[in-house]
Amino acid sequence: MSFVGFLGETLFGAGVSILKLSLIIIPLMIVMQVLKDYQWLDRLTNVLQPLGNKMGIRKDGLFPLLVGILFGISYGSGVIIQSVESGEMNEKDRLLVAVFLVLCHAVVEDTLVFAAVGANGFILLATRILAAFIITVIFSRQYVRTRRKSYEDRAA
Amino acid sequence: MINSIKSGFWTGVRTTGMLARVIVPVYFIVAILSRYGGLEQIAHFFEPVMHIFGLPGEAALVLVLGNVVNLYAALGAIVAISLTSGQLTVLALMLGFSHSLFVESAVVKKTGVPIRVILPLRLGMMILVGMIAGQLTGGMA
Repeated sequence: MSFVGFLGETLFGAGVSILKLSLIIIPLMIVMQVLKDYQWLDRLTNVLQPLGNKMGIRKDGLFPLLVGILFGISYGSGVIIQSVESGEMNEKDRLLVAVFLVLCHAVVEDTLVFAAVGANGFILLATRILAAFIITVIFSRQYVRTRRKSYEDRAA
Repeated sequence: MINSIKSGFWTGVRTTGMLARVIVPVYFIVAILSRYGGLEQIAHFFEPVMHIFGLPGEAALVLVLGNVVNLYAALGAIVAISLTSGQLTVLALMLGFSHSLFVESAVVKKTGVPIRVILPLRLGMMILVGMIAGQLTGGMA
Protein backbone atom coordinates (compact mmCIF):
# COMPACT_ATOMS: atom_id res chain seq x y z
CA MET A 1 0.00 0.00 0.00
CA SER A 2 1.28 3.49 -0.87
CA PHE A 3 1.87 5.93 1.96
CA VAL A 4 -0.98 8.15 0.74
CA GLY A 5 -3.30 5.14 0.67
CA PHE A 6 -2.16 4.23 4.17
CA LEU A 7 -2.76 7.78 5.38
CA GLY A 8 -6.23 7.86 3.85
CA GLU A 9 -7.16 4.54 5.35
CA THR A 10 -5.89 5.53 8.79
CA LEU A 11 -7.78 8.81 8.71
CA PHE A 12 -10.91 6.98 7.64
CA GLY A 13 -10.53 4.41 10.43
CA ALA A 14 -10.03 7.08 13.08
CA GLY A 15 -12.94 9.11 11.69
CA VAL A 16 -15.33 6.16 11.77
CA SER A 17 -14.36 5.38 15.38
CA ILE A 18 -14.97 8.95 16.48
CA LEU A 19 -18.28 9.14 14.63
CA LYS A 20 -19.40 5.94 16.35
CA LEU A 21 -18.40 7.30 19.74
CA SER A 22 -20.14 10.63 19.12
CA LEU A 23 -23.38 8.71 18.50
CA ILE A 24 -23.07 7.44 22.07
CA ILE A 25 -21.58 10.46 23.80
CA ILE A 26 -23.94 13.16 22.51
CA PRO A 27 -27.25 11.47 23.43
CA LEU A 28 -25.73 10.40 26.75
CA MET A 29 -24.72 13.95 27.61
CA ILE A 30 -28.24 15.16 26.75
CA VAL A 31 -29.79 12.60 29.10
CA MET A 32 -27.29 13.51 31.84
CA GLN A 33 -28.04 17.21 31.49
CA VAL A 34 -31.80 16.58 31.75
CA LEU A 35 -31.23 14.37 34.83
CA LYS A 36 -29.23 17.18 36.41
CA ASP A 37 -31.51 20.09 35.51
CA TYR A 38 -34.72 18.41 36.64
CA GLN A 39 -33.35 17.26 40.00
CA TRP A 40 -34.08 13.66 39.04
CA LEU A 41 -30.76 12.73 40.58
CA ASP A 42 -32.13 13.41 44.05
CA ARG A 43 -34.95 11.00 43.43
CA LEU A 44 -32.59 8.40 42.02
CA THR A 45 -30.60 8.62 45.25
CA ASN A 46 -33.45 6.79 46.99
CA VAL A 47 -32.97 3.87 44.62
CA LEU A 48 -29.41 3.53 45.92
CA GLN A 49 -30.53 3.43 49.55
CA PRO A 50 -30.80 -0.38 49.95
CA LEU A 51 -27.40 -0.83 48.31
CA GLY A 52 -25.96 1.91 50.54
CA ASN A 53 -27.35 0.23 53.65
CA LYS A 54 -25.67 -3.05 52.78
CA MET A 55 -22.33 -1.29 52.22
CA GLY A 56 -22.62 0.84 55.36
CA ILE A 57 -22.78 4.15 53.49
CA ARG A 58 -25.11 6.67 55.11
CA LYS A 59 -27.61 8.81 53.20
CA ASP A 60 -25.20 11.79 52.94
CA GLY A 61 -22.77 9.66 50.96
CA LEU A 62 -25.33 8.43 48.46
CA PHE A 63 -25.60 11.58 46.34
CA PRO A 64 -21.87 11.84 45.54
CA LEU A 65 -21.90 8.06 45.04
CA LEU A 66 -24.71 8.31 42.48
CA VAL A 67 -23.08 11.24 40.68
CA GLY A 68 -19.79 9.32 40.47
CA ILE A 69 -21.45 6.11 39.26
CA LEU A 70 -23.29 7.99 36.50
CA PHE A 71 -20.95 10.85 35.55
CA GLY A 72 -17.53 9.54 36.53
CA ILE A 73 -14.74 10.76 38.76
CA SER A 74 -13.53 13.60 36.52
CA TYR A 75 -16.92 14.99 35.46
CA GLY A 76 -18.41 14.33 38.88
CA SER A 77 -15.42 15.68 40.77
CA GLY A 78 -17.15 19.00 41.52
CA VAL A 79 -20.01 17.34 43.37
CA ILE A 80 -17.81 14.72 45.03
CA ILE A 81 -15.27 17.23 46.36
CA GLN A 82 -18.00 19.63 47.44
CA SER A 83 -19.75 16.87 49.42
CA VAL A 84 -16.48 16.11 51.15
CA GLU A 85 -15.64 19.71 51.90
CA SER A 86 -19.12 20.57 53.18
CA GLY A 87 -18.43 18.04 55.93
CA GLU A 88 -21.68 16.12 55.35
CA MET A 89 -19.83 12.85 55.00
CA ASN A 90 -18.00 11.27 57.88
CA GLU A 91 -14.66 9.47 57.54
CA LYS A 92 -16.27 6.09 56.92
CA ASP A 93 -18.58 7.44 54.20
CA ARG A 94 -15.67 9.13 52.47
CA LEU A 95 -13.58 5.97 52.48
CA LEU A 96 -16.37 3.72 51.26
CA VAL A 97 -17.61 6.10 48.56
CA ALA A 98 -14.02 6.51 47.30
CA VAL A 99 -13.42 2.74 47.28
CA PHE A 100 -16.65 2.03 45.42
CA LEU A 101 -16.13 4.84 42.93
CA VAL A 102 -12.53 4.12 41.96
CA LEU A 103 -13.63 0.63 40.95
CA CYS A 104 -16.95 1.59 39.42
CA HIS A 105 -17.76 4.97 37.89
CA ALA A 106 -19.08 6.50 34.67
CA VAL A 107 -20.72 3.14 34.08
CA VAL A 108 -23.01 4.22 31.25
CA GLU A 109 -20.33 5.91 29.17
CA ASP A 110 -17.62 3.29 29.72
CA THR A 111 -19.95 0.37 29.07
CA LEU A 112 -21.47 1.81 25.90
CA VAL A 113 -18.14 2.95 24.50
CA PHE A 114 -16.47 -0.44 24.98
CA ALA A 115 -19.56 -2.26 23.72
CA ALA A 116 -19.37 -0.08 20.59
CA VAL A 117 -15.93 -1.48 19.76
CA GLY A 118 -17.06 -5.07 20.38
CA ALA A 119 -16.73 -5.93 24.08
CA ASN A 120 -19.57 -7.59 25.98
CA GLY A 121 -21.32 -4.68 27.71
CA PHE A 122 -23.38 -6.83 30.03
CA ILE A 123 -20.33 -8.63 31.43
CA LEU A 124 -18.52 -5.31 31.86
CA LEU A 125 -21.34 -3.63 33.76
CA ALA A 126 -22.23 -6.60 35.95
CA THR A 127 -18.62 -7.40 36.88
CA ARG A 128 -17.78 -3.82 37.75
CA ILE A 129 -20.83 -3.24 39.94
CA LEU A 130 -20.56 -6.60 41.68
CA ALA A 131 -16.81 -6.31 42.30
CA ALA A 132 -17.10 -2.74 43.61
CA PHE A 133 -19.95 -3.81 45.90
CA ILE A 134 -18.05 -6.78 47.35
CA ILE A 135 -14.83 -4.82 47.91
CA THR A 136 -16.73 -1.94 49.54
CA VAL A 137 -18.49 -4.36 51.91
CA ILE A 138 -15.08 -5.81 52.84
CA PHE A 139 -13.69 -2.32 53.52
CA SER A 140 -16.81 -1.45 55.53
CA ARG A 141 -16.45 -4.49 57.79
CA GLN A 142 -12.73 -3.92 58.17
CA TYR A 143 -13.35 -0.29 59.11
CA VAL A 144 -15.83 -1.25 61.82
CA ARG A 145 -13.44 -3.90 63.14
CA THR A 146 -10.43 -1.57 63.42
CA ARG A 147 -12.61 1.12 65.00
CA ARG A 148 -13.92 -1.27 67.62
CA LYS A 149 -10.41 -2.49 68.32
CA SER A 150 -8.99 0.99 68.81
CA TYR A 151 -11.95 1.81 71.06
CA GLU A 152 -11.33 -1.28 73.16
CA ASP A 153 -7.60 -0.50 73.31
CA ARG A 154 -8.35 2.94 74.62
CA ALA A 155 -10.85 1.59 77.16
CA ALA A 156 -8.37 -0.98 78.44
CA MET B 1 -36.45 21.04 28.59
CA ILE B 2 -35.22 22.41 25.26
CA ASN B 3 -32.44 24.31 27.04
CA SER B 4 -31.29 21.20 28.87
CA ILE B 5 -31.22 19.27 25.59
CA LYS B 6 -29.28 22.02 23.85
CA SER B 7 -26.77 22.35 26.64
CA GLY B 8 -26.38 18.55 26.85
CA PHE B 9 -25.89 18.40 23.08
CA TRP B 10 -23.05 20.92 23.19
CA THR B 11 -21.44 19.16 26.13
CA GLY B 12 -21.58 16.02 24.00
CA VAL B 13 -20.02 17.80 21.03
CA ARG B 14 -17.25 19.25 23.21
CA THR B 15 -16.59 15.83 24.75
CA THR B 16 -16.44 14.25 21.30
CA GLY B 17 -13.98 16.95 20.19
CA MET B 18 -11.88 16.31 23.27
CA LEU B 19 -11.77 12.56 22.75
CA ALA B 20 -11.02 13.01 19.04
CA ARG B 21 -7.92 14.96 20.01
CA VAL B 22 -6.80 11.92 22.04
CA ILE B 23 -7.94 9.12 19.74
CA VAL B 24 -6.64 10.44 16.40
CA PRO B 25 -2.96 10.82 17.40
CA VAL B 26 -2.94 7.47 19.22
CA TYR B 27 -4.63 5.76 16.28
CA PHE B 28 -2.06 7.26 13.90
CA ILE B 29 0.93 6.31 16.02
CA VAL B 30 -0.28 2.74 16.42
CA ALA B 31 -1.04 2.49 12.68
CA ILE B 32 2.46 3.76 11.85
CA LEU B 33 4.05 1.39 14.37
CA SER B 34 2.06 -1.43 12.83
CA ARG B 35 3.11 -0.49 9.27
CA TYR B 36 6.81 -0.22 10.05
CA GLY B 37 7.17 -3.19 12.37
CA GLY B 38 7.53 -1.42 15.72
CA LEU B 39 4.28 -2.85 17.00
CA GLU B 40 5.55 -6.36 16.33
CA GLN B 41 8.57 -5.75 18.53
CA ILE B 42 6.47 -4.30 21.35
CA ALA B 43 4.05 -7.21 21.03
CA HIS B 44 6.89 -9.72 21.10
CA PHE B 45 8.40 -8.13 24.18
CA PHE B 46 5.16 -8.12 26.19
CA GLU B 47 3.88 -11.47 24.93
CA PRO B 48 4.84 -13.41 28.11
CA VAL B 49 3.15 -10.90 30.47
CA MET B 50 0.00 -10.46 28.38
CA HIS B 51 -0.26 -14.24 28.09
CA ILE B 52 -1.40 -14.28 31.75
CA PHE B 53 -4.53 -12.42 30.65
CA GLY B 54 -5.05 -14.42 27.46
CA LEU B 55 -4.16 -11.29 25.47
CA PRO B 56 -1.74 -10.68 22.59
CA GLY B 57 1.41 -8.65 23.32
CA GLU B 58 0.03 -5.54 21.59
CA ALA B 59 -2.54 -5.26 24.36
CA ALA B 60 0.22 -4.00 26.67
CA LEU B 61 0.14 -0.76 24.69
CA VAL B 62 -3.60 -0.44 25.34
CA LEU B 63 -3.18 -1.02 29.08
CA VAL B 64 -0.36 1.50 29.41
CA LEU B 65 -2.23 4.18 27.43
CA GLY B 66 -5.42 3.60 29.40
CA ASN B 67 -3.73 3.83 32.77
CA VAL B 68 -1.39 6.72 32.03
CA VAL B 69 -3.58 8.82 29.71
CA ASN B 70 -7.25 7.80 29.68
CA LEU B 71 -9.78 5.35 28.29
CA TYR B 72 -10.04 7.17 24.99
CA ALA B 73 -6.32 6.84 24.38
CA ALA B 74 -6.76 3.12 25.08
CA LEU B 75 -9.69 3.04 22.64
CA GLY B 76 -7.56 4.70 19.96
CA ALA B 77 -5.11 1.82 20.26
CA ILE B 78 -7.87 -0.81 20.52
CA VAL B 79 -9.45 0.20 17.23
CA ALA B 80 -6.04 0.29 15.53
CA ILE B 81 -5.12 -3.33 16.43
CA SER B 82 -7.21 -6.42 15.86
CA LEU B 83 -8.63 -8.29 18.83
CA THR B 84 -11.31 -10.92 19.28
CA SER B 85 -14.49 -9.96 21.11
CA GLY B 86 -13.38 -12.09 24.08
CA GLN B 87 -10.04 -10.29 24.25
CA LEU B 88 -11.83 -6.95 23.99
CA THR B 89 -14.02 -7.86 26.94
CA VAL B 90 -10.99 -8.88 29.03
CA LEU B 91 -9.20 -5.62 28.19
CA ALA B 92 -12.29 -3.51 28.87
CA LEU B 93 -12.78 -5.25 32.23
CA MET B 94 -9.17 -4.60 33.22
CA LEU B 95 -9.33 -0.97 32.11
CA GLY B 96 -12.67 -0.50 33.83
CA PHE B 97 -11.01 -1.05 37.20
CA SER B 98 -7.87 0.89 36.49
CA HIS B 99 -7.49 3.86 34.15
CA SER B 100 -6.59 7.59 34.02
CA LEU B 101 -4.62 7.01 37.21
CA PHE B 102 -3.00 10.46 37.37
CA VAL B 103 -6.15 12.51 36.91
CA GLU B 104 -8.47 10.34 38.97
CA SER B 105 -6.02 9.85 41.83
CA ALA B 106 -5.79 13.63 42.14
CA VAL B 107 -9.57 13.82 42.65
CA VAL B 108 -9.67 10.89 45.07
CA LYS B 109 -6.89 12.45 47.13
CA LYS B 110 -9.21 15.37 47.86
CA THR B 111 -11.66 13.01 49.58
CA GLY B 112 -8.96 12.33 52.15
CA VAL B 113 -8.55 8.68 51.21
CA PRO B 114 -4.84 7.91 50.76
CA ILE B 115 -3.46 7.01 47.35
CA ARG B 116 -1.51 4.15 48.92
CA VAL B 117 -4.88 2.44 49.52
CA ILE B 118 -6.52 3.34 46.21
CA LEU B 119 -3.70 2.66 43.75
CA PRO B 120 -2.89 -0.92 44.84
CA LEU B 121 -6.63 -1.61 45.01
CA ARG B 122 -7.21 -0.51 41.41
CA LEU B 123 -4.10 -2.14 39.95
CA GLY B 124 -4.69 -5.28 42.01
CA MET B 125 -8.29 -5.60 40.77
CA MET B 126 -7.13 -4.99 37.20
CA ILE B 127 -4.63 -7.84 37.41
CA LEU B 128 -6.87 -10.21 39.36
CA VAL B 129 -9.95 -9.73 37.19
CA GLY B 130 -7.80 -9.81 34.06
CA MET B 131 -6.32 -13.16 35.06
CA ILE B 132 -9.72 -14.68 35.86
CA ALA B 133 -11.39 -13.29 32.73
CA GLY B 134 -8.39 -14.30 30.61
CA GLN B 135 -8.62 -17.86 31.89
CA LEU B 136 -12.36 -17.98 31.22
CA THR B 137 -12.22 -16.58 27.69
CA GLY B 138 -9.06 -18.58 26.93
CA GLY B 139 -10.88 -21.69 28.06
CA MET B 140 -13.79 -20.93 25.77
CA ALA B 141 -11.66 -20.30 22.69
